[in-house]
Amino acid sequence: MDAVEKANAERQRRWAKDQKIGEGTYAVVYKGREIATGRKVAIKKIKVGQFKDGLDMSAIREVKFLRELKHQNVIELLDVFSSKKNLNLVLEFLDTDLELVIKDRSLVFLPADIKSWMAMTFRGLEFCHRNFILHRDLKPNNLLIAADGQLKIADFGLARDFADPGYKMTCQVITRWYRPPELLFGCRYYSTAVDIWSVGCIFAELMLRTPYLPGESDMDQLKTIFRALGTPTEEDWPGHTKLPDYVPVGQFPKTPLRDLFTAASSDCLNLLSKCLIYDPRRRISAKDALNHPYFFAHPYPTHPSKLPKPAKKEENNVPLEEVDGNVEFSGSGPGVKANPPNKLKRKLSSEELGGRPVARRLDFTKS
Amino acid sequence: MAQRNGWLRGTIIRKSGPSTATNTRTNTPQVQNTGTIYGGGVKDPSGRTTEYFSMDDVCPVCKSDRYLNPKLRLLVSACYHKMCESCIDRLYTLGPAPCPMCGKILRKLAFTPQTFEDLGVEKEVAVRRRIAKEFNKRREDFPDLRSYNDYLEMVEDITFNLINDIDVPETEERIAQYRRENAAIIELNQKREEEYARYLQEQEEMERQERELRAQELRRLEEEEREEREKGKQAIIDKLETSDKDAVRLVAKSRLEAQRRASARASSSSGFGMPHSSASLLRSRAAQSTVVPDVPHVPLQDNWYAYDDMYKMRESYHDPVSDAVRRDRDGIMRAGGYMVEQAWERALRFAVAGLEIMPLSDAPSAVAEPMAIDSEGPVDVAMAAA
Repeated sequence: MDAVEKANAERQRRWAKDQKIGEGTYAVVYKGREIATGRKVAIKKIKVGQFKDGLDMSAIREVKFLRELKHQNVIELLDVFSSKKNLNLVLEFLDTDLELVIKDRSLVFLPADIKSWMAMTFRGLEFCHRNFILHRDLKPNNLLIAADGQLKIADFGLARDFADPGYKMTCQVITRWYRPPELLFGCRYYSTAVDIWSVGCIFAELMLRTPYLPGESDMDQLKTIFRALGTPTEEDWPGHTKLPDYVPVGQFPKTPLRDLFTAASSDCLNLLSKCLIYDPRRRISAKDALNHPYFFAHPYPTHPSKLPKPAKKEENNVPLEEVDGNVEFSGSGPGVKANPPNKLKRKLSSEELGGRPVARRLDFTKS
Repeated sequence: MAQRNGWLRGTIIRKSGPSTATNTRTNTPQVQNTGTIYGGGVKDPSGRTTEYFSMDDVCPVCKSDRYLNPKLRLLVSACYHKMCESCIDRLYTLGPAPCPMCGKILRKLAFTPQTFEDLGVEKEVAVRRRIAKEFNKRREDFPDLRSYNDYLEMVEDITFNLINDIDVPETEERIAQYRRENAAIIELNQKREEEYARYLQEQEEMERQERELRAQELRRLEEEEREEREKGKQAIIDKLETSDKDAVRLVAKSRLEAQRRASARASSSSGFGMPHSSASLLRSRAAQSTVVPDVPHVPLQDNWYAYDDMYKMRESYHDPVSDAVRRDRDGIMRAGGYMVEQAWERALRFAVAGLEIMPLSDAPSAVAEPMAIDSEGPVDVAMAAA
């Protein structure tokens, strides 16, 4: 056994693999723990050998960037080791993701909760961007939430570092609903602004509790965007008609965001609109977003430990604080609550029917 | 749309009084509180109507949907068919016209806002409302239970017929006959009901006042308690000053006294504590906020940008590699948001990134203080042609 193998075996011994949690196209995820401390971890076993060119690209990207990034709001890669033919990534174990939180209809979001999630997202993203890394796959699904409520950016399988001048990047990145218009137009030279657009879509989704721009195909995505935000003019976005895949998709008028986001504060909408500016050069940067007045205004962002979280299903003895977080609250500011589908907006109470109950009260005891 | 089409509605919109405020409200696709132009609809106790609204709304006449027209507002005709405001304007502005679905002659003003998702429910509520207004006899108006039950049976029959459009003219005749026969008793019962409503209102008002009084009382008690505590403190200090007893004992004694007072107060006030309403659920989150307070936003939690004075970006660099980007005649790279400045910044940043990091401690020439780079001011790094 040579020195490398020895070191690897030593590393491997530090971690124990438990049951399987999930499976993706190129990896299987197991729950695991650190043997010395009992700390919960997630072990991502990369499938090797299926690909002609060796390791899958996204695995390489993930290791390459996560090895370097260490931040409160970015998932931590604890260790990498190989077993037999497989590559194993040991990652921080995180309970849930933002998508599950958004979809859990029993949860009520306060404006302060949304502010807190946004601040953590921007902080994590700013950290990636300051290190000249584009994430390129931001979506609620990839924003994981730790037990203490901290939001962490995960899945760096599509990430890449900043291209050198004149080098092309692929435009087939970012999940469609969160993909910015410049990528849909096939632009091969882009910047950090692509991630900001995704964050803008997530921001809107947090308020709407439903995807903001759900296009059915790449063409339809453009249409959906323009329908929501108006077709850009040459003035809004200089040069966009010259992009490789540019196609005119029709003229849509601009509608104010206020029409859709009726309950949002004005600086909230201001930040949202700055994230969704067509011209990527004018789109707000993560650093500027963090200094936006929205984050400083009242209410203060909710402390991460108090953010709403879906109740765990396996455990019956859910901690009280978690249940409390899910309670409907009609305190300061308008809460955003998802409507249960197909439910009547109003319940009929007897007072509405002219002050007396209509249901028949038949009493046959005496007759 | 609603505002732009205002002139089409002519006098109607002006009749509605302070309509500007309500109109802006109408523009938001939300559950709307309106009822300015189109009367009817199901009102809640405060006299407002809440409109049913869904993302899947489609006008059955013009097929326009919520996506094409976010301000789409569907109204219900007297024959319980839905159509959007612009269709109503188009079809009925020139006077009564047939319904596009069933052919019944309709008028513009007879359209009502929709409250319930199911139009069947909408119709039933309207019918029941109308019937309940006139068939308002009570148990006291009948000699025995049997006849009261017969009466209820008849009312239910009539209601059922109206809802399901069975023998409508006959049923209407029955209603008219009933009205003629019982005019006096209907009026009497109506008066009774009004009285009852007034009574309820008074009751509510009283309850509210009581709550306020209780809150005042609580505030007063709190104030008293605070004063007492202060007095107690002062007393201890005075005693310590004047008497020659053991200080520890004195303090313990007065503390015990304060405790006794507090417990007595608690037992007396617990009798009428705040009413436990549904607010107990709502309070839980508020209670949490006292455990972990929310803190003001801090943009960045490290001092990364404090090092910004390590270098100064120039306007431009001699950089043949990025020539293509800078010349970018078609603006393709510009439109995609690629910025050469960011590439330059990256190169500079990487060049200076490690300058202040201390050498490893086990290195032979470990230096205690950081390199004196910042004392010399910003370093102007010239970009080497990479």
